[in-house]
Amino acid sequence: MAISLRESVEIGLADIMTRKVRTGVTVLGIILGVMSIMVVLAIVNGMNKSTLRWMEERGGLNKIEVRPNWEMDFINWKQASFTFNELKLIRSLIPEAKAFNPQIAANRYPVQKSEISYDTQVRGVYPDMTITDEWEVQTGRFINYYDINNYNNVIVLGSTAATELFGNKNPIGENVVVQNNVLKVIGIMQTKYLKMQGGWGGDNALEYMNRQVFVPLTTMFKKTTLDQAVSNIEVKANSPEEAVLLRAKLQTIILNLKQGKKLFEVSSAKEQMDEMKQNAAIFTTIFVMIAVISLLVGGIVIMNIMLASVRERTREIGVRIAIGARRIDIFIQFMVQTILITSLGGVAGIILGYSILSLVGKYLSMELVASLSMIYAAVFVSVGVGLLFGIMPAIRASNLDPVTALRNE
Amino acid sequence: MPLIETTDIIKDYDMGKVKVRALNGINLSIEKGEFVAIMGPSGSGKSTLMHIIGCLDSPSEGSYILNNLRVSDLRKSELASIRNKQVGFVFQTFNLLPHLNILKNVELPLMYGGITYKERIRQAKEMLASVGLSDRLRHKPGELSGGQRQRVAIARAMVNNPAILLADEPTGNLDTQSGGDILSIFNDLHAKGHTVIIVTHDLNVASRANRVIRIIDGKIVDGDIAA
Repeated sequence: MAISLRESVEIGLADIMTRKVRTGVTVLGIILGVMSIMVVLAIVNGMNKSTLRWMEERGGLNKIEVRPNWEMDFINWKQASFTFNELKLIRSLIPEAKAFNPQIAANRYPVQKSEISYDTQVRGVYPDMTITDEWEVQTGRFINYYDINNYNNVIVLGSTAATELFGNKNPIGENVVVQNNVLKVIGIMQTKYLKMQGGWGGDNALEYMNRQVFVPLTTMFKKTTLDQAVSNIEVKANSPEEAVLLRAKLQTIILNLKQGKKLFEVSSAKEQMDEMKQNAAIFTTIFVMIAVISLLVGGIVIMNIMLASVRERTREIGVRIAIGARRIDIFIQFMVQTILITSLGGVAGIILGYSILSLVGKYLSMELVASLSMIYAAVFVSVGVGLLFGIMPAIRASNLDPVTALRNE
Repeated sequence: MPLIETTDIIKDYDMGKVKVRALNGINLSIEKGEFVAIMGPSGSGKSTLMHIIGCLDSPSEGSYILNNLRVSDLRKSELASIRNKQVGFVFQTFNLLPHLNILKNVELPLMYGGITYKERIRQAKEMLASVGLSDRLRHKPGELSGGQRQRVAIARAMVNNPAILLADEPTGNLDTQSGGDILSIFNDLHAKGHTVIIVTHDLNVASRANRVIRIIDGKIVDGDIAA
């Protein structure tokens, strides 16, 4: 029966305590390696998380977007547009889509109410916008298909647009004027909010959405802005997986509709996200590789020191063997000591990594996500390095011949 | 049945191409409770014999029976257990572990013997008390005199109550006064019925034993009879 782990740990700790400076210098490589792994993973986690949240706020991973293909050499960009009949046809070909929202947007467009004129983005949309943008009205109602088919003069306001135009008054039922058309306010949207420090638009990254106003696509198309063409469709599938399939199908339908000319680009949020993640993964891999190399160098340094320690303590090993230690006892003693040193480095690296993360997080307003699994990984890695680089010194120690070892000065 | 019985023990060392015969047919029999001195000039093979008797080394040929066990046939892990339970070593240079206090040093054989922590402390304290060092338990070996260190070493050697106590020039690094103290302890242990074997080239030390075995060139020249 080998001596207990507790005793090996005691022996190892005693030795570490008598050689504090050496141990400290030895574990530096492990500390830095573990620290950099923590920092890199936290940055990547943070980036992924804020990207995902951004995507979700803008309609989630089920969303598919049809936009003009700007790589095409358009004579007139209106080449890349859909007629009302084409839109009806496309919708009928993709009954599985959860939502279908072709839209036009006019930027810096004046919306007037008696003496007030508010320049903002006017969007002509379908009723399904509430689904594609995951955005409901706060009061009143949203645009419906009756409004679409009858070119109704109605308008829904974003919350900021409503206060800018009406102050504290209830705007529902009131009229506003958009390019000589009198539109009746039928609803106010919920306020969109996404806190993103260091982002654009102040504290709320989605404030621009609260400034928007919405009219039926057909009304916008026919009555308000004659210059517009529908070139943008948002579609929503039931799941991210369906979105990938639906995107391919939609691309084919549109390609056929436009006689094989690739006038439109059809993209799914899921695929964009995956691509972003892939790009991030390349960086992650590179940084983690660098950290791993630093860990390996740290491990080699530790192996070196442990080999020196075996030589230095040859006589001690001889004495231990003389009084009854078996090879396995000596092996475990050195193994445990190496692992203790690397674990110590691991713990120090975790603490240092956390300190750096909280500092960086505070001053660079970056989102950093430290997780428990990172700590597990750090501990696992440092123990692993100890195991890997502790074996050789431990074998050397346990193979010493006691008679020779005792003669060693 | 003698406690120690060796038959035609030969020990060869490979020194590259040359084979050196350190022991050349040792026939030795030691009864339980004897106090034996093994004498011989340096290079005579007395240390090698001690290592074999102490199970630190195995003979190249011949048989060695210790306490009814044919040690020459045992595997290394079994030898470790014999060293732990049956043999206590005392060295010329004490060989205490410098970074452990003397209580921990004396505890070591018990630890490798698998004795529980509490029991270890109790037995180690008892042994240190018997060599008069109860008041130094937390001292490191470096804080003690040579004589005190050798007493710690004896306590460590005896703590597992071994069948034989093997001492290799135990007074070689001590002044006459402390050397005498140490030899008195050996005499006491012998008087209590312990088997003591001292390797030495000092006649004064050997004279304390009740039998002297002389070795020259790997052979016993006389003395394998009760003195």
